[in-house]
Amino acid sequence: MSRVGFLVREALVNLRRNLLVVTGAVLAVFVSLFLAFGALAFSQLVDLNTAKWKEGVHIIAFLNDAGRDGVPADAHQTLLAEVQNWDEVRTAFYIDKTAAYREYQEIFANDPDLLEILENPSVLPASIRIELNDLDLYETVEFRLNQQPALIQKISSAAQEIEQISALSRALHLLAIGLSVVLGVCAVILIANTIRLAIYARRDEVSIMKLVGASNWFIRVPFLLEGLIEGIVGAVLAVFSIWVAARTLAGAAVGFRLFNLEIPGDFFLRWGVVFLFFGAAAGVIGSLLGLSRYLREADGGRPAGARRALEPV
Amino acid sequence: MIRLQDVTKVYEGGTVAVRDVSLEIPKGEFVFLVGPSGSGKSTLIRLMLREEGVTRGNIFVAGKDITALPGWKVPFLRRSIGTVFQDFKLLPNKTVGENVAFALEVLGRPRSVIGPQVTQVLDLVGLDDKAGRYPRQLSGGEQQRVSVARAFVNRPPIMLCDEPTGNLDPATSVGIMKLLDRINRTGTTVVMATHDHAIVDAMQRRVVQLADGNVIRDEVSGRYETVGGEA
Repeated sequence: MSRVGFLVREALVNLRRNLLVVTGAVLAVFVSLFLAFGALAFSQLVDLNTAKWKEGVHIIAFLNDAGRDGVPADAHQTLLAEVQNWDEVRTAFYIDKTAAYREYQEIFANDPDLLEILENPSVLPASIRIELNDLDLYETVEFRLNQQPALIQKISSAAQEIEQISALSRALHLLAIGLSVVLGVCAVILIANTIRLAIYARRDEVSIMKLVGASNWFIRVPFLLEGLIEGIVGAVLAVFSIWVAARTLAGAAVGFRLFNLEIPGDFFLRWGVVFLFFGAAAGVIGSLLGLSRYLREADGGRPAGARRALEPV
Repeated sequence: MIRLQDVTKVYEGGTVAVRDVSLEIPKGEFVFLVGPSGSGKSTLIRLMLREEGVTRGNIFVAGKDITALPGWKVPFLRRSIGTVFQDFKLLPNKTVGENVAFALEVLGRPRSVIGPQVTQVLDLVGLDDKAGRYPRQLSGGEQQRVSVARAFVNRPPIMLCDEPTGNLDPATSVGIMKLLDRINRTGTTVVMATHDHAIVDAMQRRVVQLADGNVIRDEVSGRYETVGGEA
């Protein structure tokens, strides 16, 4: 137990006494994970906004009046029931002439001229508003609606525009995820390398400890703890900084309706934990890699004189 | 205590550092390894410490063949050997007290034992008032005394010293030798590689002379140079 206590104390004392090197390692973790986590947060924003843009009515089928020109009186409700049963359709609802007029009045409430033009509410057609399960299927739905030319006056679809936005967002999402992965890999290499360099600077200490009779694990544990702490501190700083940046951005964009800049808290919680593990693992791996070489040396077991052949005997 | 049996060490590239050396060092003996640079003194020390592996031959320490020792057992060997080097090899980020205590920490000694033992050995080397200093704050002689204290703190049966006075002025060297002599009188076997004539001549102990990796002289109570010749 006293040995465990000693090793933990060793790690903490080393962190304090090698402050400059430790700061460098923590900054390497911070910068790497800040960029990787930032890219991930960006991809989350892209996803959120794409989902937002995809919401709502995608297709409006304007209908000819029922009971006229050969259109049966119950044709609207029959079509609505039919549309609601289609697999491609998530929801569909009916807007009659009165509701359409109310909607018109709401939309143009600030434009009295337009309101005056439309004195007779019955001019506006009734319609069926359709929200799709999958935007890619809008052509199928349009095709089916067009099978009833007597009933359908006009079909208006926002799907094409949404599809373009979807394509753009898919590209952005892929870019952001790709960036996160690339930066994540860079982070591991950078962190591992920084910690390796930090250990390189202390390689003499390792050889002295070995000469005094310290076992490999006795030497390794404090270095691993140091790497672990450096990794976790850097990761916490990175996650916290991105959280602050996201909150600031969301605060500045309050009332901004085109984009949603509010990343939900559970994203930070979920991915924050992942990044903490990531930072910790990178710190530990860096320490293990950095140490392995110096621990192998001075054991007298390697092939004769690899390095010391050049030294005076 | 230490027995070398036909030990040969050839480095990569074919340099022969030690050639068929056989040597028997009984318990409690004080042995000087002398010879010019490149004669194989330091290599012998490194081989006895298992810092290097032999190319041929066997080395027995306390009856055990250390050349056949698996890597994970090497730390146990080193815990029974105190080492003192020319460049002190102190941990720069540890205080004098912590450096000495480290040798006991690796043995897993409780803190209640470590504290008094460190104080006692620092008192022995005359540095009890400098336990809180860092190595960089000490003179060369003081650093070497810390190194001796660390080597002796767990009372090892063997001490290997590689040019311990090489970086010190003559007066300071005498102080270090007095310490090593005192340690030897407690029954510790001391093997010291040196090319300090004055010290070897003054101590009048066993002298093993090396040249080009061969033992060319082994005297029970010798001098650095043979009468009428060079070492």
